[in-house]
Amino acid sequence: MEKKIEREINELTLFEGLQREDLVYVYRGLFSQAITDSIIALTENNLTLVGESPKLKKRVFSIMVECLQNITRHQFVDGREDVTADQSGMFVICNKDKSYQMTSGNVVNNEAIPHLTELLEKVNCLDKDALKLYYKQVLEDGSISSKGGAGLGLIEMARKSGNKLFYSFEKIDEAISYFYMNTSISQQLDEVSIDFIDIQDVVALHKFILQKNIMLIFNGGLNQKSLMDILSLINEQAFGCLERKKKMYNAMVEMLQNVVKHGAKLDVEKEGGNPVLFFLSQNGDDFILSAGNYVHTTTVNKIKEKIEFLNSLEAKELEDYYTKCLLNFDVDNSKEAGLGFIDLRIKSCHKIQYEITPVNDTLSFLLMQVTI
Amino acid sequence: MEALRIEETEDTPRIVLDPENNEFSVSGRSLPEDSVAFYTPVFEWLQQYTEVVENDMDFVFFMEYFNTSSAKQIAKIFLLLEKINEKVFVQVIWKCKKDDVDMASSGMRFSKLLNLEFEVREEED
Repeated sequence: MEKKIEREINELTLFEGLQREDLVYVYRGLFSQAITDSIIALTENNLTLVGESPKLKKRVFSIMVECLQNITRHQFVDGREDVTADQSGMFVICNKDKSYQMTSGNVVNNEAIPHLTELLEKVNCLDKDALKLYYKQVLEDGSISSKGGAGLGLIEMARKSGNKLFYSFEKIDEAISYFYMNTSISQQLDEVSIDFIDIQDVVALHKFILQKNIMLIFNGGLNQKSLMDILSLINEQAFGCLERKKKMYNAMVEMLQNVVKHGAKLDVEKEGGNPVLFFLSQNGDDFILSAGNYVHTTTVNKIKEKIEFLNSLEAKELEDYYTKCLLNFDVDNSKEAGLGFIDLRIKSCHKIQYEITPVNDTLSFLLMQVTI
Repeated sequence: MEALRIEETEDTPRIVLDPENNEFSVSGRSLPEDSVAFYTPVFEWLQQYTEVVENDMDFVFFMEYFNTSSAKQIAKIFLLLEKINEKVFVQVIWKCKKDDVDMASSGMRFSKLLNLEFEVREEED
């Protein structure tokens, strides 16, 4: 099992940005208003945490809204009420090369591709003024499709970003394809334009998360507010039954609050909360919660001992140990109650998997996995 | 003694300690970043109340969820209630939603640890 973790984390690090402190946020699944709201709230909070300007935040926000609306509207292809996992919608935002890059992913009917391509190419060759004119023209023309899209969203995204829309269609079968579309904003706003985004990076990321059956990746600074936003996203998922859902919720709170309270920063100068790499994946009937964060190397042995000890206990012993620690008020301060790991171990019914990798002289990277 | 009322937020519970209306309750979600700081006013209030308490007390918990650091603070509330129970009769009513196995078992766990009249009550939706 520990081998498996190692392989996963190694593969994850293939993707630039993960394991670094920059924002990478990926959600794959059903898109609803509530889910869209929590994705936006989480991103906004992260931008605030790292001290982005209101102007940049507003720009990212308006593009995100268009992007997410696009996915929500088009997450099901005509005539299909449901989509399989590999066809469900996806949203990716990452902070890379001094820009915020947002990508939407959704299924399209193959017959819609020529029209979409034409529209995207047209939008991409127009400058700012021409786009404005074109927007007006499409609006007056009134050729609005039944789903409310006449390419207005696309024109808006191009206008607001000031950059090209990069896209790709990956064929699924004779009837449908998967449509990736990227919009990026330079952190220097209009001063720098983005000439090229390799959309194949996102296509590769999508393949990877499908292969690992990952539903959510969050890499970035974490604080109590972002924790609450991630939780509201989890609250919108079904997870089979209420008991399972509550366990997931429980485990996530304990894992993530542990990072908020005990995580270390690689770059102490950097603004924002403690960096975390969190992902949620599914393996058969099990859900796997993984959280990675930096810890001071001096604390590593203590963490190891604690987890190994908990892993060695049987259910009854765990219950007794929980009670003992619950009433031990010697360990009771704003940072620590001493119960989090025990609770994780009880809730998961599995051993806690972990891996500790030295990063530099003082820090190590701790990856923990809990199966629910 | 003056009542203590704390309104519910997305990560902290609603708390009412009101002797005049005989209402003592903690309800909702509890997962604050610093639970010691959040519950400190509650401990202080209960400690003072121990000195002046005259009437029997029904103390209601109706939790939707609490994290482990809140669990410890709730345990501290119970220890204070045990003190009050030396003077008047205190009954704890631990409510939970029907089918909420997690909260029901949390209630059972507390009930076993305490020298208090403790009832776990399932509420219909």
